Amino acid sequence: MRDRLLPRLLGILSIVALLGAWEVASRTGALNPVLMPRPSLVGLTLWEILVGGEFLGPLGHTLLLFAVGYGLACLIGITLGLLMGASPVIYGLFEPLVELIRPLPKSALVPALFLFLGIGPATMVTVVVLAAVFPVLINTLQGVRGIDPVLLDTARTFQCSRTRTLLSVVLPAAMPMILAGMRVGLGLGLVLVILAEMLAGESGLGYLILDLQRSFQIREMYAWIAVLAAVGGTLAVIFDWMDKRVVPWRGRA
Amino acid sequence: MLNRRSLLQTGAALAVAGPARGAELERVRVSIIPINDVTPLFVAIERGFFRNEGLLVDTSPSAGGATGIPGLVAGSYDIAYGNVVSTLLAAQQGIELRVIAPGTKIQEARNDHSAIVVRRESGIRSGKDLEGKVVGVNTRNNVIWLYARAWIKATGGNPDRVTYKEIPHPQMEDAIRQKQVDAGYMVVPYVTLATAKPEFEKIAHPYSAVQLGVDVGQYLATASFVQSKPETVAKFVRALRRGIEWYNANLTNPDLLPIISGFTKIEVPLLKTLTLPPAPLVVEPAQMERTTQLMIEHRLLRKPVDVKALVAPMAL
Amino acid sequence: MGQSLAAPAVARATTARSAGSQNPAPRPRRNWAHTRASGFALILVLLALWEASSRLGWVQGQSWPPFSAVLVAAWRGTLGGELSLPLLSTIGRMLAGYAIGCSLGVALGLLLGANRWIRWIVLPVVEMIRPIPIPAIVPPLILFLGIDDALKVFVVALASFFPALINTMAGVLGVDDVLLQTARTFRVGWSRTVLRVVLPATLPAIASGLRVAIGLALVVTVVAEMIAGSAGIGYYIVQMQYALRPDAMYAAVLCLAVTGYVLNRLFLIGEARLMPWMGRG
Repeated sequence: MRDRLLPRLLGILSIVALLGAWEVASRTGALNPVLMPRPSLVGLTLWEILVGGEFLGPLGHTLLLFAVGYGLACLIGITLGLLMGASPVIYGLFEPLVELIRPLPKSALVPALFLFLGIGPATMVTVVVLAAVFPVLINTLQGVRGIDPVLLDTARTFQCSRTRTLLSVVLPAAMPMILAGMRVGLGLGLVLVILAEMLAGESGLGYLILDLQRSFQIREMYAWIAVLAAVGGTLAVIFDWMDKRVVPWRGRA
Repeated sequence: MLNRRSLLQTGAALAVAGPARGAELERVRVSIIPINDVTPLFVAIERGFFRNEGLLVDTSPSAGGATGIPGLVAGSYDIAYGNVVSTLLAAQQGIELRVIAPGTKIQEARNDHSAIVVRRESGIRSGKDLEGKVVGVNTRNNVIWLYARAWIKATGGNPDRVTYKEIPHPQMEDAIRQKQVDAGYMVVPYVTLATAKPEFEKIAHPYSAVQLGVDVGQYLATASFVQSKPETVAKFVRALRRGIEWYNANLTNPDLLPIISGFTKIEVPLLKTLTLPPAPLVVEPAQMERTTQLMIEHRLLRKPVDVKALVAPMAL
Repeated sequence: MGQSLAAPAVARATTARSAGSQNPAPRPRRNWAHTRASGFALILVLLALWEASSRLGWVQGQSWPPFSAVLVAAWRGTLGGELSLPLLSTIGRMLAGYAIGCSLGVALGLLLGANRWIRWIVLPVVEMIRPIPIPAIVPPLILFLGIDDALKVFVVALASFFPALINTMAGVLGVDDVLLQTARTFRVGWSRTVLRVVLPATLPAIASGLRVAIGLALVVTVVAEMIAGSAGIGYYIVQMQYALRPDAMYAAVLCLAVTGYVLNRLFLIGEARLMPWMGRG
């Protein structure tokens, strides 16, 4: 307990020091107070947003979009990754297409998606899926390929069916890699959720931040960015916690 | 890309016309929106009006103009072309701006080409018909949105009962066709292209219907720039006015088309189908005040903005 | 060889893989084309569908040109410079930001990995800033850095910085204790330990950090140019969209795909050259 307290304390101190320096710089005019409002004022605005409950609507929009997009991305990525890892035919069929789409900055596809899917939820979800699916897919594939052949031989010896081998041998063995890919996809997915909300301009934290910037409500904008940062941080923490549950042997290097 | 082009063009004009050397020219960075509204500026560049004043104008485009005022504040630009609503919003938040020159104004109804467009068979005619429907605007809480709302109200509708959806200008036609929106507020050249097709129909010109004479866009600088470099600003405005005069006198001159194509990247054959509206020579504070009133009415502003203080004398 | 998909994403992934011997043997070259024949056929079918959908009017819209028109636009734009110049400027900005972000990230990552005091003080601040999605910080940054190269380079540097930092730090922290103890048992000097034990053990982690970063760098450059652009391929895409020239717009997207693919390939080749012990040919 003792040895965990000191690092925490130091961390909090360094953050407080940073905000303090910002506060002083803004008060003395070293930082333009319109562009870089004092953290105390931003904090006050943040407090009002939180107490008033007005963060619930945009936050819900962002989280829902993220959950649907990221969930689909993981599902598609793992399934396709397993299939591509298990079958050379499926691998050959999809590999060139995957390699073609993967390096594309997904934001560049937005105008085309607008045309086919309309400006709305379908486009936004697609953009998020496209962003998050590739790290999951590629790591799954690599996880499958990295499996100890002895494991597979054993499964064959015990005459496990193909599906059963895939689900009870391959999937668990590939899990650490899959989770690592999902972790990368998490960050990318969130980036694209915000971008999609900015581009589709309906609701959510992304739209709100852009709208506040366009109407020069800088203090409110920072408060919402803080909300967004908290969301990103919380998601990462939840993920790491889950990760430790699923792969308890990791991280004890 | 565009910067380089304008530089080259200025350079070319230089080589032909003047004794003034590049080294003696003062560089002015201007943020523009690549739409027809800024044609007089490019006319003034092409015809050497800025060079004659000793200025080298370097333009930097911003699609939709979202970065104009922020770039001005950050010091990326000396001057920015911006729409009246963004300017008033910035002023309300304590950003010290000055309107230094006129940009776009709807002086006559017949020159108001931007319009609310619907599918012909939709049967929508008025703001009342739009209640419960979806209207596409390029940006919510901004100028197009404001005048769409004002028109809906003026024609018997409740603007709060209409949903506004952000659709980029180039996608508006597809959005209306695919029924993602019931109506769209479209601007030149997209409106011209869309309404040339039989399936679409214009039902209103909100700017002229709501506020004939509205000052839609202006050239801006920060108050500190106007204060510290009054000479530069005066030269810029003088040269720009010459550009406006030439433009107004040559609205049907085919020489204009390559100039417009140069900064919009829209191909000349398409530009030939457009009618160019004349540009204003002065800013009318009274019109800006009416816009302020509309913004308060539609909850974009909390209190009035001191328009008189916002408009620099040279813009009048 | 044929392992382009097999790219581990983060440091932990590399360690999880534990030994390179588990990788399948590289296939012979002829087989490479053979297995993918169906894949290339699939792409051709999709492109043919695109062409037909536009030519035959299945998809109605002013922003859906036939694929052949896109190819023509790409060809013209690349030769004429209209497309290649913005693309080059984008790559330049990207590389500048990437280099700055990665060097700072690796340096700070080594420092944080090596010294727990610095880690305790700095890591919370990093963790506070890291989860903010990049598009959200572009609007406020415009107010400080303007919309010129400084903004884009900064944003790219920031995006590259975090994966480089976190992976490097994780790499240093993840160096096997047994290795260090062995070095100690054999009385290997401190500097020799760092050079011969810690650095080689950390390099794979650093490399995967750098690879995550290069993937992000291109995306972020384009996003920044689209939001706050006046130059570069991101702005070009938006501009062509507004100029109603969808063929040129898709041509730019096509060029971006090729650029991204080539960058990834170059990275893999460089990695294989520099770190052959990562167990991949």
